[in-house]
Amino acid sequence: MNTDSPIIEIQNLSRRYGKLDAVNGLSLTVRAGKCYGFFGRNGAGKTTTIKCLLNLLRPDSGSVRVFGLDPRTDEVAVKSRLAYVPDMVAFYPWMTVRDTLEYLASFRKHWNGDIEADLLKRFQLDPKQKASHLSKGQRTQLALIGAICPEPELLVLDEPTSGLDPIVRREFIETVIGAYQSGDPGRRTVFVSTHLISEFEGLIDEFTIIEQGRELLTMEADAARDRFRKIRARFAEMPKLNLAGALSVKTGGREIEILANGNSEQLLAELKTHSPEELRCEALSLEEIFVASDILKKAKA
Amino acid sequence: MLLQIDFKSGKPVYLQLVDQIRYAAASGGLRTGEPLPSIRPLAEELRVNRNTVAKAYAELENQGVIETIPGKGCFLKESNSPFTKSARAKILTKEIDEAVVAAHHLQVDRDAFLALVKERLDSFERKVKEKSDND
Repeated sequence: MNTDSPIIEIQNLSRRYGKLDAVNGLSLTVRAGKCYGFFGRNGAGKTTTIKCLLNLLRPDSGSVRVFGLDPRTDEVAVKSRLAYVPDMVAFYPWMTVRDTLEYLASFRKHWNGDIEADLLKRFQLDPKQKASHLSKGQRTQLALIGAICPEPELLVLDEPTSGLDPIVRREFIETVIGAYQSGDPGRRTVFVSTHLISEFEGLIDEFTIIEQGRELLTMEADAARDRFRKIRARFAEMPKLNLAGALSVKTGGREIEILANGNSEQLLAELKTHSPEELRCEALSLEEIFVASDILKKAKA
Repeated sequence: MLLQIDFKSGKPVYLQLVDQIRYAAASGGLRTGEPLPSIRPLAEELRVNRNTVAKAYAELENQGVIETIPGKGCFLKESNSPFTKSARAKILTKEIDEAVVAAHHLQVDRDAFLALVKERLDSFERKVKEKSDND
């Protein structure tokens, strides 16, 4: 497949529940081999969007393409090339871990038994254990094994690590990087919706923040950290400052904190002309950018 | 060699890796012929995208800092490559800049600062000489 053709292409997607617009004119494009973050608050429309990708929901309008195909008409072709880990994982309670994996494998053309054995060992899952006796963390681990062993071209993760302890979360992400991504990097695309952003920070190439069903911001992660900066300064005496163009300004006594949106150089120069006692500038992490999205929204409006 | 990513620096992640490995090469943290960590375990350990580590290694190979030996991994190339001198200067520049800023805050002027640098250099060279005389 041409690596330039997008793996996911969503154009102007809308989906309503009764009168509620869950997704309202969303567009985004995920290119092959990338890890794409999909960030939004609870109820922003993340899961609805993902369900449209998987044909678990039908769009009211707009188009959704996965591998260039329409999930509504080519459901089997689409689903055979992707794997999905939802936030709530359920298995048949009477099946053991081994039964569950064999059951999942029976739907797949390809199943990598070495990865399965590796991950069972790594997660210390007992193949004879009944699925109903697994903890939430173990159920997620089992779902992840089931998603990675077919070595799909696209891994869709919907809030995969919420409700898990920090060690299980860490292992989860390491497994996505190691067992999944290393296989054939050009054909390993990840689409992950989460609000535990800091844990996925190093994995994310590009992201979209969705707010009330609409795209608020789409950027490459490195470019975003370069553009959004937090500047702190302390003065002997607070001067009159010209901070036009700052996203937000917070002052406390002789100290000032400014959020810059691509104009940190200009703001730093202005602060320097008033000889600050202390001046610091740092990038915002993706999580901080997400938290600041209310401010962004106002700036956009 | 231990690597660390700082998302607060605002510098692209792959460039942080490139700079740290070049620093390790220039400062002796990584010796000629020593292997670099493999991409997958390093990516897992730092919890960064595998492609980011691959991109950093490709960049280092492009710059002639490392070489890939198929089936064996990546290794630091013969030292004294043209970059080393500039990399050393870059490392030192950072340290000097900190001293310059400190001097500014302490209101030590240019001549006094330069005199102090000279004095410290003399003192250091004396110590090195004494040590070699004693050995």
